[in-house]
Amino acid sequence: MRPTLRLGRIPAAISMIVLTVIVIGPIYWVVSSAFKTRQEILQATPTWWPQNFTLSNFEQLFMTTDYALYLRNSVIVAVATTIVTLIVSLAAAYGLYRLRVPGSGKIAGIVLLSYMIPGTLLIVPLYKTLAGAGLIDTYAGLVLVNVAFTAPFCTWLLRGFIFSVPAELDEAAAIDGAGPVRTMVQVVLPLMAPGVATVAVYSFVYSWTEFVFASQFIVSDTLKTLPIGLSALVGQYTVNWGLVMAGTVSTLLPTVILFVFVGKYFVGGLIAGATK
Amino acid sequence: MTAPVSTRSARTVNSRPRRSAGVGRTTTSTKVLGYVLVAPIVAIMAFVIAFPLVNAVITSLQDQRVIGSPADFVGLDTYLKVLGDDKFWSALGRSGIWLIVNMIVQTILAFATALLLQRSGWWSKSARTWIVLPWVVPTVAVAVIWQWLLNSNYGIIHKMFAAVGIDIGAPFADGPLTLITVILVNSWHWFPLSAVVIYGALATVPHEVIEAAKMDGANAWRTFWSVTFPLLQPVLFALGLVGSLWSFNVLDTIYLTTKGGPAGATTTMPVYIYDTAFSAFRSSEAAAASVLTVIVLAIAGVLFVRFARPKDFA
Repeated sequence: MRPTLRLGRIPAAISMIVLTVIVIGPIYWVVSSAFKTRQEILQATPTWWPQNFTLSNFEQLFMTTDYALYLRNSVIVAVATTIVTLIVSLAAAYGLYRLRVPGSGKIAGIVLLSYMIPGTLLIVPLYKTLAGAGLIDTYAGLVLVNVAFTAPFCTWLLRGFIFSVPAELDEAAAIDGAGPVRTMVQVVLPLMAPGVATVAVYSFVYSWTEFVFASQFIVSDTLKTLPIGLSALVGQYTVNWGLVMAGTVSTLLPTVILFVFVGKYFVGGLIAGATK
Repeated sequence: MTAPVSTRSARTVNSRPRRSAGVGRTTTSTKVLGYVLVAPIVAIMAFVIAFPLVNAVITSLQDQRVIGSPADFVGLDTYLKVLGDDKFWSALGRSGIWLIVNMIVQTILAFATALLLQRSGWWSKSARTWIVLPWVVPTVAVAVIWQWLLNSNYGIIHKMFAAVGIDIGAPFADGPLTLITVILVNSWHWFPLSAVVIYGALATVPHEVIEAAKMDGANAWRTFWSVTFPLLQPVLFALGLVGSLWSFNVLDTIYLTTKGGPAGATTTMPVYIYDTAFSAFRSSEAAAASVLTVIVLAIAGVLFVRFARPKDFA
């Protein structure tokens, strides 16, 4: 039997219903609105599900706006951020928590400390730094900034996973004649798959949803990511809620789909990483 | 081969993280590999965080307006200007309110959720995955969703309240209430992450301990406060520190729903700095405000670590 704590006098069932409505309700409402006709969205008595199911909002979104372009840009930035974050944080975690190079405690501390500085406070000087390096209005600049805000957390998250791979394996690999690089790539990394998945999801979601840096560091319309596109859409078509809803659904759909497939592993990985 | 030596030392260090037993005993190839592996993150952090931070300090001592335009050194004048600006102080105060109310709302929601996730049954099992959905929704979408739900002409929540005779007005434009609205929206976006982490931490509490407390006649509240809570402290401490900083950092949720308005009612420090730099084009003042805020946060952080750190926290 699992130990369960009771929530005071509030019956758990009611809490569960309330929580379900709070979490799922808003998302459901937006998704169902996206498939309604303009008249139905605005009518005085709301309908719980679309009476005349329509895809016209999505048609309009992809035909008359640059949404497809923004989608492509977001995919490029998110995939690049994920790959670079994975490489950087796995390497750092391995060096700091497995090989424990001299001074690793200090380095880990400094990296985490600099991660604690709120990024929004640094937009101005960061803009200057990127401009000096010719990285304003490029994918590379945005990816670099994203990685700086995902890699430290991911490195820390991977710590727990590194510890859970027994050190005896390294010794065994060494006895078999494997050098440190082979031990890392062929012995330890494959055993960290759940950690890798967690880090990948975290960095993908971070860069997919990132708004502040993308709004300042990307200037060209052709390079803008989805969050920027959506916020422009909201400003431009305030009256056309159907279109805005379709845009919202298209923006959140990719991460939700990702979650349907790997959500379980992500939640498990986050818990494992954070509580070790 | 000397590799086994290095791994053995690595293992002893694992159990006592601060011991420097590895020094001098690590083989050269392992050491080289180690530094090569650590170099990228150090380089990226130096470029994206450390260098801009130094840059901010320099800019704050000048009188620069548009970013990157030529400027003269003016010493601490900019700081005096910022410190004499009422808006700076009210933004700092609002950030304090933002931080504390967000913390309270999210902690309550996250704890309640974690306790529900811990139960057995299909709801709890499935909720462990879908509970994270609000966090996965991009902030821009979060802003649109809530603006739509609370829209004063067509919003469903507005209509529901109207049906029972309550007029909630325009929650994103109604003076002091606006800050609360944005805090609630932000909490909706962020509480699932804490909920999942707390749920994970709760699962690590050995149930023998809880059973023992029950045997001794402790009721649910007593058990929670004197057994579960102390055991959770290390995780709550880390969550409190990182969560506060993430929360302080929030700019997008506020900017996308209210742009800091109405009349500055939701202008927290990040919004103030953003506006000063990109709307008012006063780079130096924005930089000075950033430096001052980092100092305030550092002091708050040190105090938090000093007073809230659990005894056995490594």
